[in-house]
Amino acid sequence: MIEVEALTKRYGSFTAVRGLSFSVRPGEVLGLVGPNGAGKTTTLRCMAGIIPPSEGRVRIAGHDLASEPVAAKRSLAFFPDEPRLFEYLTVRQHLNFVARIYGVADYEALATPLLEELELAEKSDVLPGELSRGMKQKLVIACGLLHSPRVMFFDEPLTGLDPLGIRRMKDSIVRRARSGAAIVLSSHLLHLLEEVCTNVLILKKGDKVADGTLEQVVAKFSNGEENVGLEEIFIRATGGSES
Amino acid sequence: MIGALLYLRLHSLVNLVVHRVRRLRQPKYLVGAAVAAAYFYLVLLRRPGAVPPGAAAVPGMGGDPRIAITAICTVLCLLGLLRIAYAWISPPEKPGLRFSEAEIAFLFPAPVTRKALIHYRLASSQVAILLTAVLMAFIFNRFGYLGGHRALRAIGWWVILSTYDLHLNGTNLMLGSLRERSRHFLLWRLGGVAAIVLYVAAVLRAATGPVEALLAGLGGAQSGSERVMDQIAASPTLHWLSLPFRIVFGPYAASGPGEFAVAMVPALLLLAVHYHWVSSTEARFEEGSISLAERRAAIRAAAQRGEIPGMGEAKPRARPGPFPLASLGPPELAFLWKNLISVRSSLLNRRVLMFVLVVMAAMFMGPLVSLRTESIGVDAFMKIIGALCAMFAAYTILVGPQLARQDLRNDLPNADILKTYPIEGWRLALGELLAPTAILTAALWVELLGCAAAVDGRTLTAGVRATAVVCLALAAPLVCLLQLIVPNWIMVLMPGWYQASRSRAGGIEVFGQRLMFGVIQLFFALAVLVPAAGAAWLIIFSSQWLIGAGPAIVLAAVVVLPVLAGEAAFGLWWLGERFENFDLSSESR
Repeated sequence: MIEVEALTKRYGSFTAVRGLSFSVRPGEVLGLVGPNGAGKTTTLRCMAGIIPPSEGRVRIAGHDLASEPVAAKRSLAFFPDEPRLFEYLTVRQHLNFVARIYGVADYEALATPLLEELELAEKSDVLPGELSRGMKQKLVIACGLLHSPRVMFFDEPLTGLDPLGIRRMKDSIVRRARSGAAIVLSSHLLHLLEEVCTNVLILKKGDKVADGTLEQVVAKFSNGEENVGLEEIFIRATGGSES
Repeated sequence: MIGALLYLRLHSLVNLVVHRVRRLRQPKYLVGAAVAAAYFYLVLLRRPGAVPPGAAAVPGMGGDPRIAITAICTVLCLLGLLRIAYAWISPPEKPGLRFSEAEIAFLFPAPVTRKALIHYRLASSQVAILLTAVLMAFIFNRFGYLGGHRALRAIGWWVILSTYDLHLNGTNLMLGSLRERSRHFLLWRLGGVAAIVLYVAAVLRAATGPVEALLAGLGGAQSGSERVMDQIAASPTLHWLSLPFRIVFGPYAASGPGEFAVAMVPALLLLAVHYHWVSSTEARFEEGSISLAERRAAIRAAAQRGEIPGMGEAKPRARPGPFPLASLGPPELAFLWKNLISVRSSLLNRRVLMFVLVVMAAMFMGPLVSLRTESIGVDAFMKIIGALCAMFAAYTILVGPQLARQDLRNDLPNADILKTYPIEGWRLALGELLAPTAILTAALWVELLGCAAAVDGRTLTAGVRATAVVCLALAAPLVCLLQLIVPNWIMVLMPGWYQASRSRAGGIEVFGQRLMFGVIQLFFALAVLVPAAGAAWLIIFSSQWLIGAGPAIVLAAVVVLPVLAGEAAFGLWWLGERFENFDLSSESR
């Protein structure tokens, strides 16, 4: 569903991501982890078609993102860490707008339960400026899910959510993966990876340090020790910090 | 404690200057700074044919400079009085002092006394006041006509602006305090307004004599202005009524260093009294300061989005869509729908509409009055209307694209989201540009009708006029679209230059950059429109003898419109391509 081959992204002389290759199949949730500045967000933005890679290729649902961007983007949804919304559109108008962009027929039948699920039904006529950060994040999620994407990219998906929202977000990610979506999420919250992800990809300074199922990655860095926590694995794999 | 606060202010200022100087290493800022410096030199500093700084006033450039200085002071007094009267008529709900949001976050919870905060605020405002004073001295002494030394004039401006700032703050805080503590707040306000009205009435009554002298002096041996000055000097009532203002304006109006030094003594004393009044206030300013800071932040954010600061609403309101948006159909219309909602929320509020109506009424009032008094005929009246419409049309084409920014420029902070949409770049660009194109086209159509109505029926027949209007109306959206593509091109090509990020823009170099963009816009308009208009004119001129004026206009339109459409299509395609490969994050690296 998601195929990344030799992805490289450079900003002038600075290489943010170097020769990254991996794939995510339907039903898998890949956790992208690494210290600050490791290249997680750059990788996500390249995969979502926001920025063009300097080298390499990305295929989404069988479509090459460079040569068939429209077909590829029709299958994906990107959820940024900072909610980006149109400040003059109400909650419902956001959904109306997104429905037209993605050509979602009879969107209202989908929008109403989605708003209720995300506890936004009572706020459907208010502007983003009147929403809390968590509510804004929920609106971004509602917009992203409206066209039932088969590929999803989450950048720090739990930021700003309350405990119930966090629980629901985790359940939603797992549920959508079980229904056949391929999901990549970037987060510093290691417990999220343990609870949600089937696979992990660890980045450091733009390079892939480890890639595989959670068990494989733990086995690689545990040095034969038992009961080594994910936090310890992460520190061993990355050296603990961006430096 | 005040030392720490001044440390904050001083280091913020120094760091700002260092940051601005350092960024001159980037060519975009260096070029911008050079352009702005050249502009300021040519417009403010260079005084063609004027005397050197410090010299006496230039004779023969409009009469006695005392009159001009008196006029400037009178206008400023009136404006100041109006502002103070407004403060009494409509005092702020919660009076506040001007702190930034960061200052509020750090200083309000800090162990700092209220008095120290007030001192800090008053000292902070001096930076802006000093800069304004220097600028005013340069602007008002532009041609050396007013004479005097620029440095002394700048100090004079500083006295005026500082006293005004303190008086306004003091009035607001005093009214806030009265609102909290007095049960007779309304009576206090009425008393204040009545005092101002009585003062103005007394000044007007006392000024009747000098005005009559002015009227009597018209055409006389002694100029009217000199008679006015004599009368003002001789009127004891005016002398005492104007005393507070004369104290404040004394240093500015002084004609030489000696007179300036004498005038500074009472002016500084009055300033000190004001300072003591404000700094010893017991009014609660904290809540008002927070509201003020939030409002300023909202206005600044609006300005960064390209909206008119202070003219739009600080908080947008939810509004219904301009038309029902079906979930299936061309996605371009979704952008039109979205951007029209933002136009209605941000621009079409009551204050902006009132402003536009007042300006329009003022512009049409003169011709209407003349028509009513039969001082001009209907034809002349229509010509004036036509000229005004033509002028507005030129502004719409040249300046309109800078004002109607409900396109990619406004949406750039959401570029990441836009780029995940499954739409080709050119369609996204077209969708984004539809709303401002529609707005400018509607304006152009109205102006076109005004121009057409003004054309003499004997010059062009009704049929020819109608044909020309229809053809020009067809060209209008293409012209507007082309003009709107330019600033959007510039933005995606040089987002850093365009201050497209959420960071705060500012500095002389940014001013220079905007000047350059204005020139580029003008150049592009000339490059695109002049050849098209020339070709159309050539076709009409050469073919009207054979096929008649109306068909010649149609023939010109048939040739020129596809060319304009082709240019617009290429522009959109290129804009879309560039946007697809556009990476704002690389700008910040």
